Amino acid sequence: MVNLTIDGKQISVSKAATIYEAAQEAGIHIPVLCYAKKLLPYGACRVCLVEIEQMKGRLIPSCTTPVSEGMVVTTTSEEIKKVRKTVMEFLLVNHVLDCPVCDKGGECDLQDLAYELDSTSNRFEGEKFDLPTDEVNPLIERNMNRCVLCGKCVRVCDEIVGYGSYSFINRGFETKIATAYDRGLNCEFCGQCLSMCPVGALLPRPFKFKARPWQLKEVDSVCGYCGNGCTVTLGVLGDRVETIRFNDKIGVNDGNLCIRGRFGYSYVNDQERLTKPLVRKDGVLVETDWDEALQVVSDGLLKAQGGQGVGFLSGARLTNEEFYLLKQFAKTVGTENVDHSGGECYKGVTEGLKQTLGVAASTATFPQIDKADVILAIRSDFYETHPVVGMVVNQAIRRNDAKLLIVADKKGKLNKLPGAKTLLSKPGLELDVLNAMAKVILDEGLAQTEGVEGVAEFQASLANFTPEKVAARSGVDAEALQAAARQLASAKQGVVLLAYGLPYQGLNKELATAAANLAILTGIPGREGGGLYLCGEKSNSQGAIDLGILPQNGGLGAQAMLAGASNGKLDALYVVSEDPLSSYPDRDKVAQALEKVPFLVVQDIFLSPTAQLADVVLPAVSFAEKDGTFTNAERRIQRVRPGIPSPGEARSDGAIFSALAGKLGNNLSFTSAAAIFTEIGKDVPAYAAIGFNELGAHGKVWGGETLSPASRKLVAVGGGTTVEGEFQLVVGSALYHSGTVSTKAKGPLAVLSEAYAELGREDAKDLNVAEGDLLKISGNGAEIKLKAKVDNRLPKGVVFVPYHFADAEVNRLYKGEPAVSVKISK
Amino acid sequence: MSEAVETTVDEQDIDLTGANQILDKYVDFHGALMPALQEIQEFYGYIPEPTVHLTAERLNIYTSQIYGVLTFYAQFHLKPRGKYIVRVCMGTACHVKGAGRIAETIKDRLGIVHAETTEDLKFTAEYVACIGACGMAPVIMVNDGTYGSLTVQKTDEVIQKYLKMD
Ligand code: SF4
Ligand code: SF4
Ligand code: SF4
Ligand code: FES
Ligand code: FES
Repeated sequence: MVNLTIDGKQISVSKAATIYEAAQEAGIHIPVLCYAKKLLPYGACRVCLVEIEQMKGRLIPSCTTPVSEGMVVTTTSEEIKKVRKTVMEFLLVNHVLDCPVCDKGGECDLQDLAYELDSTSNRFEGEKFDLPTDEVNPLIERNMNRCVLCGKCVRVCDEIVGYGSYSFINRGFETKIATAYDRGLNCEFCGQCLSMCPVGALLPRPFKFKARPWQLKEVDSVCGYCGNGCTVTLGVLGDRVETIRFNDKIGVNDGNLCIRGRFGYSYVNDQERLTKPLVRKDGVLVETDWDEALQVVSDGLLKAQGGQGVGFLSGARLTNEEFYLLKQFAKTVGTENVDHSGGECYKGVTEGLKQTLGVAASTATFPQIDKADVILAIRSDFYETHPVVGMVVNQAIRRNDAKLLIVADKKGKLNKLPGAKTLLSKPGLELDVLNAMAKVILDEGLAQTEGVEGVAEFQASLANFTPEKVAARSGVDAEALQAAARQLASAKQGVVLLAYGLPYQGLNKELATAAANLAILTGIPGREGGGLYLCGEKSNSQGAIDLGILPQNGGLGAQAMLAGASNGKLDALYVVSEDPLSSYPDRDKVAQALEKVPFLVVQDIFLSPTAQLADVVLPAVSFAEKDGTFTNAERRIQRVRPGIPSPGEARSDGAIFSALAGKLGNNLSFTSAAAIFTEIGKDVPAYAAIGFNELGAHGKVWGGETLSPASRKLVAVGGGTTVEGEFQLVVGSALYHSGTVSTKAKGPLAVLSEAYAELGREDAKDLNVAEGDLLKISGNGAEIKLKAKVDNRLPKGVVFVPYHFADAEVNRLYKGEPAVSVKISK
Repeated sequence: MSEAVETTVDEQDIDLTGANQILDKYVDFHGALMPALQEIQEFYGYIPEPTVHLTAERLNIYTSQIYGVLTFYAQFHLKPRGKYIVRVCMGTACHVKGAGRIAETIKDRLGIVHAETTEDLKFTAEYVACIGACGMAPVIMVNDGTYGSLTVQKTDEVIQKYLKMD
């Protein structure tokens, strides 16, 4: 600690603090413009100048100057004011003063400063900028006439996002912020830059002229898309979410969001939302009231349960409380056939981690990734599935020199991070690469085997996984593989990352087991700082596992339910918040099940392709209307709060289950989400320790920041198999989308509106294919047509298709395997 | 303002072998951007856009950052340059002695002003500050040749001389 005096106040702060931070802690206000808490000190604007008694004669920028013992600081004096005012005058020489039509009005640092410094006149006169505003991109309006050159956008896009859209160009008066070749912005559209801009130079275009900031009601909730669990603060006007507000005070994401979280909200306001229940009469779905709909559903379920039985297929975007009610409702109906997310993709957690570590969750929290020294990312899609964790990885590397290792079948953004070492493997053979790394670690005596079970058997199982053999099969360089293994073994705080989700169905249990084996051998699980992370695709994927939305006590899993529905072994399917027809692998299998099953209920917010086949459609609500909790991929339980009323007669999933259970004689009505949360604790011990009302600004992590594994058991897993054929199709998530719901959201759609088939340049050349050409892709007995996208992410022979778009029907080809052998022609 | 350069069709066909060979020397070597760009410019006569993307990819530097460097330093050229660089001195002495008229003459005869290049890629005009030959103001340089004490007529003669050369 260091003691100093600021404006006569005695203060004691950590010696790493700057004067500005010390003043803030003491509640003393110093104006700033280019300073941002999450960025490295910069010191460009000189608005934050202060006087230091020990350095008389000049003014010192408080935002970059560290405190030192005995410092005596003055933050306001006539001279300081004069200098700040001059700085302001310089800024305002060229700045257009179009505050009346600027959306930043009311929360603009420049306005506030002018007000604070009483800057009404300007001694300097100059040309006002007259630069064209960037109208090219759909989401971020750039008006460089308002820019004050604080550099925050440049810095955040580099330091945090790792994309690097902007830089300062030209010199002198002509200096400005621009993209390469000063063209329109074409990037990830995460919007970090606009969240940092102190003025109205960068603004969210979808929010243009919608409201003044003070008119908005702000509601803190959790993003409804992925398992990252970012805090989103809904900006509500009337009954609409009009924007997502910047908020770095709460949650786990430091105010960072991806395009989905920041710009993907519009679907909640969509006109096409379901507002009334629908019942099929004479073959068509017609609107009805809840009384009739609930009656039809309960009659249908009772009848089915009296016959061959009922099955529940759930998505992973319900709240924990809703999952609880779903489970109770299924019990009321008398069935154990309950599953979520297609029943396969999460098995890495429920089976892979369970059999090795004895837990079914990530072992550590996201902030620990920041402190890691070695990070192993398995399947490079991680950045695309969980972009904000990707940003943490970027910071760990850029700021703390972490080393990044990647084992994947294609390149992605992670590969471009400084010093990243990529082991590019043939699709499906990542597993072999992990096994070979484990072998190297064991054979070279680098393994931590104390208290580890099954070492001898495991080592014996690896005979076929020498680096050389695996190199020959997978295409990975043997020496690079050995080096990576040694690096991971040397980690003091290692991190292993693996994302899962509907488009990554193949070899989940095996990959997770192999990842856990590696983690165990390198001492990662249970050690403070670092951990093994299995991150689910949806906002409450972890909650679904925790709450047991899984086939238990002999119940059928999702795939068995679909098979049963097809061959007369199941009489009803109840689908909640999921569109299996569009998103599950093997569309034909799903279609057959949905068509054959005698009674189909679909509960959702849109009339999805699945819902169109239903006998009854129940209108549910979006995350922005829900009250309860989500558990993110690091086990953090966070509050979801309703920002807007539900449209029409739509009801929350929980309310629907309670009503139906009530009809069947089971009283499941609770007074509040808090009351249900308490009930959950009785079923799920890890949740019992946590009080609903204690879920503060950063939620609560069940099991503690570092989860101690119940076991450390190495389990042998065989290798993957090479897919024969000239081309191998891999499906996955695209950065801009999440599941199918984002395809109803204007922001993500504005950037990516349809599926595509991505090829590497070499293949494109061989096939004589150019960007945008229509390609025929056939395999697994089906053919689809997609536009080509050509870049340098994919190795020869691999073609990638994002799975989000229902009309692309990629799941006619993809049946759950790690890669599909396909033919491609023009 | 910045020179907003559009990619021309012929730029797409630029042979990157030279740039690749230059970059071979600089990968894995920190702070290599400036020398790499200088060499690329020497090789191509300017910095073609495809070489910027290549440099970004191979040295793992953001394209935007390279563009920032290229626009900051006057030494870099983003457009092809003529075989003959006509530097018109606009320094004080030359200005007083009528550099404006000289520039006008060049504009009139060749159709180019500062930073512009004739379509046949023969001439590029550049207005520069004092080139240290104030004694013979007004002065122009064509590549390494210096021409002083110019009048409109003398300027014309110089231009004609170069027009006749290849
Ligand atoms: S939106 Fe994101 S990726 Fe695009 S420029 Fe801004 S910070 Fe960079
Ligand atoms: S655009 Fe905004 S954030 Fe970027 S330099 Fe200008 S004022 Fe700063
Ligand atoms: S989609 Fe995921 S990463 Fe993006 S903002 Fe939402 S929770 Fe965060
Ligand atoms: S805030 Fe300190 S110099 Fe800009
Ligand atoms: S001013 Fe032209 S040479 Fe000096």
